[in-house]
Amino acid sequence: MIRRPITRSWTVVLGCLSVLLLLAGYTWVSHRQHQVNPDDTTIPNWSQLYEGVKKFTQPDRKEKRWIVEDSIATGRRLFLGLGLGVVFGFAIGMMMGCITPIEAFLQPPISLLAKVPQTAALAVYFVFFGTGMEMYVAMIAFGIIPALAVTVHLAIKDLPSEILDKAYTLGASHFEVAAEVVLKQILPKFIDAVRLSIGPAIVFLIAAEMVVGDVGFGYRIRLQFKLTNMNVVYPYLVMLAFFGFALDYGLRFLRAKLCPWYQRDSK
Amino acid sequence: MTLSDQNNFGLQCEGVSHWFGETKVLFDLNLNVDAGQFVALIGPSGCGKSTLLRAILGTHPPHRGKILTLQNGRLANADRPGRDRGIVYQKYSLYPFLTALDNVALGLKFDQTTTAFRWLNWAGWGKKRREFRDRAAAFLEKVGLGQAMHLYPSQMSGGMQQRVAIAQALIMEPEIILLDEPFGALDEATREELQEMLLQFYEENKEAMAEGRKPPYTLIIVTHELNEAIRVGDRLVGLSQYWDWKADGHNRSPGATVVYDKPAPVFGPDERPDYELFADIRQDIRQVVYNPEVLQRRDEHVNLNPTS
Repeated sequence: MIRRPITRSWTVVLGCLSVLLLLAGYTWVSHRQHQVNPDDTTIPNWSQLYEGVKKFTQPDRKEKRWIVEDSIATGRRLFLGLGLGVVFGFAIGMMMGCITPIEAFLQPPISLLAKVPQTAALAVYFVFFGTGMEMYVAMIAFGIIPALAVTVHLAIKDLPSEILDKAYTLGASHFEVAAEVVLKQILPKFIDAVRLSIGPAIVFLIAAEMVVGDVGFGYRIRLQFKLTNMNVVYPYLVMLAFFGFALDYGLRFLRAKLCPWYQRDSK
Repeated sequence: MTLSDQNNFGLQCEGVSHWFGETKVLFDLNLNVDAGQFVALIGPSGCGKSTLLRAILGTHPPHRGKILTLQNGRLANADRPGRDRGIVYQKYSLYPFLTALDNVALGLKFDQTTTAFRWLNWAGWGKKRREFRDRAAAFLEKVGLGQAMHLYPSQMSGGMQQRVAIAQALIMEPEIILLDEPFGALDEATREELQEMLLQFYEENKEAMAEGRKPPYTLIIVTHELNEAIRVGDRLVGLSQYWDWKADGHNRSPGATVVYDKPAPVFGPDERPDYELFADIRQDIRQVVYNPEVLQRRDEHVNLNPTS
């Protein structure tokens, strides 16, 4: 039968199994490679990986720990960019959804901008914002604003007009309809949209760091890749994955806390 | 307007006409509703019941004519939705993100506090919120939902949802409450329970009038069930496009208007009417309102004082 439910313990067992298989597969491939070339660094074995981890967690010649430097640089860029993008994306979407002249005014540029690949537009950001903090922040923010604004705008347009008219009959002001009815009703969809925008935001940031960064995850990965120090590159990728996962999990938690009503289909 | 006028006034529709391009919908419709009346609005599908309701609600004001309600103690045109008119839809009446209790308390919050008050005066708002929730809880108790106060709409059955929706509109005691086929999606047994609930509110109206107060609940209920109209309404208003417009000098149908307007028998909430007894009323309505073959003068069955 399609979608037959399985028990919780089976879910856990199968999930762990797939991760173990992945690790075992890697170990085997790495082993084969080292039989051919004992000095290989493209598919490092576990002891090489351990060396790599030591390399970026111990202070280097300049007494700096890469992992700390890179995390701080990349984290600040990402969170500032995401923060600005989320605030402006939400505000623009709300205004487009609630105020029809603004909708008519902003719809053409927003829907066009949503289609521009940010990584292809890197040069534009270099020209306008240099290669400092502003560039990263602007690129992430502008990269996610159109998608977020479009999501919020469409979510508002999907609301049945009944619930807005109803609010007016209960004595709500325009502001109250926007802040207490529209906002609360679209909040879970907005949080989901933010979750989806984290992926692109990281892509934009890493790409930009690879091209012009002097510190950060993208910079480190590119540099270590040039030296074929894959024992640094792989752990960095794993950390990026875990970071993205944690952020997504946090937002899901936030959604469950803020919108306990959402996706309750029990009757 | 004197106070006693105000105590009697519910709604006034004067010469309301509406059309969509070439399609004439409403023609010169006049309807005065007194405070405390339960008007059952009936008519064939496509006769413009919804158009009239949306015109009264103010989301789609009519092209011609006036719709007046009491707004802050003065007669004013109902050209946008406002606090003086309540609405209960067949669905989408409740806010999915609020529990039953907060859905009912929402109107009190919107009506009696401002955003600035809620944001700046936390202590005052906390006190008010408790007061509103207590009132909402008492009201839900009254409609038999004391146990379900903390459920979200998605956790409630259709009948419970409509009870909450009615409580949400009625707790505001607006000048007039519009119910747009409120029980249309419910099964027969639930439907009857909800009709009984509405009749309880009619009892409150009677008490208020006996004490010389303004009756708190005035409604227009749109329904396609004649028995429901007869049981819940104390007045039956039939809207129809089938009337003798040729006699009025039109060469094509100018739209629907009120062709039937008579008092209906009144029942207590515990009274199960014997619908067999109303066969003649139903017969009458089917002829006058629903039958396209039978065309009569528009005022022939508009008779609010059956003694005359």
